Amino acid sequence: GVFAHLEMLEAQAHETAVKEEEMEQRAEKLARLKARVQELRLQRDKLRAKVDLQQNRQLEKGGVVSNPTQPTAQAVLEWKTKSLKAMLQVFYLTGISGKLTKQGVCFCIITAYESTYLDSYYLDLVIKTAVQIHRHSIPIFIPLEQLAKKYLQTDIRRFLSVLSDHLNAYVGRRYQADQLQEHFSDQIEGTVQRNSLCNLLVFNYKVSSKRKTFPFHVRLLYGDLCCSLPTEVVISCTPDAPKSLAETAAAHSDLFRRMALHKAFRYFSSAEQS
Amino acid sequence: MDNSIFQVYEDEIQSLEEEITLLAEKYEDSQQETTFFSDKEILMSIKSFQREFLGESEGHESSSNLKALLESLETDLSFLMKFTGIQFTSHSKKTVEKTRNRTVRKHRLSGNCHSLSFQLEFQLLEMQNKDNVAAVVTDLSIAMEFGEDSDLSKFVSRSFSSYAQWRKHRRCTFLHFKNRSWTEHNISSQSIKHLLCQSSTIKKKKSDNLQMLIFPPVFPFVLTSSINNMDLI
Repeated sequence: GVFAHLEMLEAQAHETAVKEEEMEQRAEKLARLKARVQELRLQRDKLRAKVDLQQNRQLEKGGVVSNPTQPTAQAVLEWKTKSLKAMLQVFYLTGISGKLTKQGVCFCIITAYESTYLDSYYLDLVIKTAVQIHRHSIPIFIPLEQLAKKYLQTDIRRFLSVLSDHLNAYVGRRYQADQLQEHFSDQIEGTVQRNSLCNLLVFNYKVSSKRKTFPFHVRLLYGDLCCSLPTEVVISCTPDAPKSLAETAAAHSDLFRRMALHKAFRYFSSAEQS
Repeated sequence: MDNSIFQVYEDEIQSLEEEITLLAEKYEDSQQETTFFSDKEILMSIKSFQREFLGESEGHESSSNLKALLESLETDLSFLMKFTGIQFTSHSKKTVEKTRNRTVRKHRLSGNCHSLSFQLEFQLLEMQNKDNVAAVVTDLSIAMEFGEDSDLSKFVSRSFSSYAQWRKHRRCTFLHFKNRSWTEHNISSQSIKHLLCQSSTIKKKKSDNLQMLIFPPVFPFVLTSSINNMDLI
């Protein structure tokens, strides 16, 4: 009776207290978030004004702006540091960069294909009485030791240049296979099979003739390891394929020999549509 | 009670923080790109910087760090220029676009490679992927001066006009030649204007005297093989 009633009132009071606390907390959180938003908006507006002013000043003077206030020596040196770092970054774009170390030099070979920069590899050289490769990140299927034996002691530039050729060609072949897999997967049956050096590619793709599709089997061999175009192209069709497809196969074979894989596919995709 | 109101504020906070970071970077980039100090001013700053911190013990460390960093960068740069034979004489850049995932900058470079001087302009697009940064060069334009070295200019023109006949193809480079002082009549009659290399950078040893080295995918250079190997020790 009374006791149960008291319990119930206690429980209600407790519930109400908990709810009130929750609401207080929510209100506090909301207030905090609102304040933070205001703070950030103010900061953002100030920055925007600063940037606009800076751009207007630059437009007026048209180019190099002389500092209105005398810069500190530290500011000047920090500018120079940033400027030198930017210059070193430009060297990356040439495909070769490096840094002097206590024991020699650490070179970096930056690869690219069709204006797109791809992987970088490093080569840490120790120079004492002879030049030694201390550490490197060259993949194992690149004939590094062979090249080093031939050129490293007598002509470092040549060594780096030839190594760079190998790496760039490998990366270029791999890029083509990846692009083909990514952008023409509807025409390729299965996957593009390749070895680690990406100088042997095997795949099947669909060719249509008179509203029927026939599979072409392609084997590409890149005999020149410094080249990203194949030296040998073998295209074969199934025995039930019409004779006219032999011409298509020959045409495709020629294309594969002359241009990048994904470009060849783009070419005959658009030719088919026309 | 719904928490969506919190989400709205939290989203705005995140977007504002990103915007602030971008604006700050834009400001810094612009300051850097439009300022210029001569070597003389740099030298004077180094001296006054050292004087400022000579007394203080904590300051001294940071000053020597900045100076050490500067020296190390200069040494590396000077080494690279000597090693590759590429001397950059000026570099200016302008940030054209900057968003969270994309930065586009216009670069203007001038320099020389042994006796061959060049000027390059290009756009560099950098995109932030999930694991790395992808970089692509577009709108490349190269201007080269051959001066009186007619052998060199003949060779380069022959090379570029006959590249199509070459069987070795590697990377793709977009070359647009704008040249001011072609010295040989051969060159002007060939009118090398617009070469779109479907294949790659060209490396070929043609004559005994000349070896052409092209670094992908931006710079074509000609090195004479009479240049001695640099002493690296």
